[in-house]
Amino acid sequence: MGTTSSQLNKNDLSEYQELTFLTKQEILLAHKRFTELQSKEQKGVLHLRVPMEKIHSLPELKSNPFRKRICQVFSTSEDKDGSLTFEDFLDLLSAFSDSATIEIKSHYAFRIFDFDDDGTLGYGDLEKLVNCLTIPEDKQKDTEETGLTREEMKQLITNILDESDIDKDGTVNLSEFQHVISRSPDFVSSFKIVL
Amino acid sequence: MSSPLDRSDSGNGFYSDQESLRLRRAPSRMSNQNYPQYNWRSNPSDDEVGNAESPRELRTLARPMAQKKALRQVQQMRMPVSTSAKSWTHNKTKSLHKLKSNFREFLYFFSLWRKSLQKIGGNFGGGVESYFLFLRFLVVLNFVSFLLIAGFVIVPSLVFRSAGTSLNSTDDGPCMKYNPNPQGLVVFYEFFLHLLSGQGFMEDSLMFYGYYNNNTAMEEGRLFYNLPLAYLFTAVFYFAFCLCCIIAHMGTAARVVVATGGSTMGNYSLIVFTGWDYGCLGDQATKLKQKNIYYRLQVDLEEERIKKQAASLTPWRRVALYSLRVLMFLISIGLIVAAFYGIFVATEFSQKNNEKTGILGLFIEYLPSMVITAGNFLVPLLCDQIALIEKYSPSVTVVVALLRAVVLRMVSLGVLLFTLWSQITCDGNTEAMDCKMCQYNVDKYPCWETRVGQEMYKLTLFDLLVTIALLVLVEFPRRMVVDNWSSKLSQLVGRQEFVVPSNVLGLVYGQTVVWTGALFCPLLPLINTVKFVFLFYCKKITLFYNCRPALKTFRSTTSTFFFLVVLLFGWILSLVVMIYSLAVIHPSMACGPFRFIPTMWQIVPNSFYSLSKVTQEFLFFIGSQAFSIPLFALSCVVMFYFIALASIYGRSVAMLKAQLKLKGHDKQFLVKQIEKMKSSSL
Repeated sequence: MGTTSSQLNKNDLSEYQELTFLTKQEILLAHKRFTELQSKEQKGVLHLRVPMEKIHSLPELKSNPFRKRICQVFSTSEDKDGSLTFEDFLDLLSAFSDSATIEIKSHYAFRIFDFDDDGTLGYGDLEKLVNCLTIPEDKQKDTEETGLTREEMKQLITNILDESDIDKDGTVNLSEFQHVISRSPDFVSSFKIVL
Repeated sequence: MSSPLDRSDSGNGFYSDQESLRLRRAPSRMSNQNYPQYNWRSNPSDDEVGNAESPRELRTLARPMAQKKALRQVQQMRMPVSTSAKSWTHNKTKSLHKLKSNFREFLYFFSLWRKSLQKIGGNFGGGVESYFLFLRFLVVLNFVSFLLIAGFVIVPSLVFRSAGTSLNSTDDGPCMKYNPNPQGLVVFYEFFLHLLSGQGFMEDSLMFYGYYNNNTAMEEGRLFYNLPLAYLFTAVFYFAFCLCCIIAHMGTAARVVVATGGSTMGNYSLIVFTGWDYGCLGDQATKLKQKNIYYRLQVDLEEERIKKQAASLTPWRRVALYSLRVLMFLISIGLIVAAFYGIFVATEFSQKNNEKTGILGLFIEYLPSMVITAGNFLVPLLCDQIALIEKYSPSVTVVVALLRAVVLRMVSLGVLLFTLWSQITCDGNTEAMDCKMCQYNVDKYPCWETRVGQEMYKLTLFDLLVTIALLVLVEFPRRMVVDNWSSKLSQLVGRQEFVVPSNVLGLVYGQTVVWTGALFCPLLPLINTVKFVFLFYCKKITLFYNCRPALKTFRSTTSTFFFLVVLLFGWILSLVVMIYSLAVIHPSMACGPFRFIPTMWQIVPNSFYSLSKVTQEFLFFIGSQAFSIPLFALSCVVMFYFIALASIYGRSVAMLKAQLKLKGHDKQFLVKQIEKMKSSSL
């Protein structure tokens, strides 16, 4: 369901307006930026996939430490290589938009933080998350110099699990994650990417 | 098989317990099937009426677009089955939603400074952005209230003045001598002085209270527009309007604060799960945010260690620490009292010697403002040094510093007003020599309202001038020195940091001054709007050129609530002033719309009796006990209902949490049973 011309037709536009949280202007802007990312042969054909590296060249995602996970979560490709079609791109922008509900945002945040894709946040996921949050990317190769020490990391993750793991199974599942998120006043405004 | 979509719309059910159990057993197989399977064969009977998947709801599903499109097609195929009444309501709700989204897009287009705020937030974080959001709120508030005042007071006054009813200045009693603009020709520099001090040509203009007279425009004998009444009611309504805006704005912030139960220190999961700002643009901002989060986590972990240490302090050391804190508290109170005394002396001196002209006269005019600004600048600095000795934990230190600064600013303004009051009304003693004749000090203040308005105008202007002067003379040079001259000292001092709390207090102080002066100087909200717009651009420029982003963050939503609470304090202060001037002090007899009346409020009863009999009876009824006591009882009932509702919600949250815990234990038990049975069957 793509178009061969480089314009969106009206039916598609109104359908996208209904199925996402984006306004008409935002969808048109997304279309413009997406076609700019496509290679010359693919231009205008929206159901073809744009590879992950090209998506990472967008200025809004370029320095985001979670950009790889974001592309993997929203990608519907069979090879799980993080490539996005236009509709995947719209899904991404819809989840990160101004008017998306907190349920949508927390759902996708959970999946982004679930590095090993097993449906819960275990010790390994939390450790990778903290490293993404505190160590700049160019320094991530040298261990131990930047970032928290091993004892501090252990203390931190123990504290996190104490606070958020309600059923005491050693991992944070989606409901527990959403419970933590609901207590944060700033989450909705910080989980936002606007083109 | 469970069909989670038949439940009503909440994202929680998508990882049910069974799913996560299965997924944990075989992680490799489940990597991309993280959404539950949609039941295509769901019963048409049970979701005929209760079908929650209307188009608006489809987008709240966390599914890829292809699935949402398929769902929509299914829905549209089902559509003709519903009855005509349902389809009519469905169409109506659809068009209503469309209207709402169009309206929101329209407002979005109009929202002021949206792009700038986004840029500021992306580069400096939510705390700094909350300051600029607060500034934008105040600009809009001032502008709308100016429109209000212009519509009801200024424009009618202009119209009716030009219509020809002039004031008769033939009365020559002892209280009536007032000549606002004595000179005919004005030298240029005197023009400038008058502009700055609000005297001369400015005094006899729309700016100040003294210009308005008590015309009640008559047309064919009937009362057409009662200007004094309009002036009074506009002032009262202006205060009520500002209160409503503040409370409405606070409502959204308060809801969040109540839901989160306030901010707790060391809340690690909140920092880790919600700390990242996806709006960060660029490598610099990202690295900074990472450093920021690292710093916060380290600080919290360290505070936890210190707490554990402090709990194990010996009793002697604890006593020493507490006595030190008490001493520092007394010292800070002493500093504040000293500042007050300085303001008091300066105001008295300025009022006594205001006959001087020229530059010296201007200096004396501005003396109270200068002392207030100096006090507001020095005392917080000293209090910061005191805080270093007190050794509270960081969050408590911030709150204590803010409280001290708030107390200082608000009450210093109060001291200025008190001094003015004691001069105008001879310390409230109407039998004193100066005040006997006209109930106020007529020699010094032939038109005291205009004088008070002038003081407020001078405070506003001085505030703006000081900000600009600081910008040009301190912040830009500091940055140039730090950037171009690399020495140990400049590295130590570093570029300036944008300190949000003190800037916000400056805004609150400015707004309080405007509220206090609005009764006496109707154009003050307009001047304040222009001042705040100017301030926005100045602060933005200094932020981007001179400041480095702060390492210590300031939490944005709870801080918005705190800013609004402080603004409310300022509002209460100016309300007290307004009520006192309306109800107690005798208005000037030589100027203004309330001459010849004993108090300003008296105009209301006077005009009351010109209303029709029915209206009078109705208003008497509303004010009587037969109406107000049932109303009071009803509002008590409503309030108790809401309190009960809130406690029920709190209890159900606790109960659900306990249930969740129980389910977790059950799950672990079942897993152990399964393992046991497996091992025993082998």
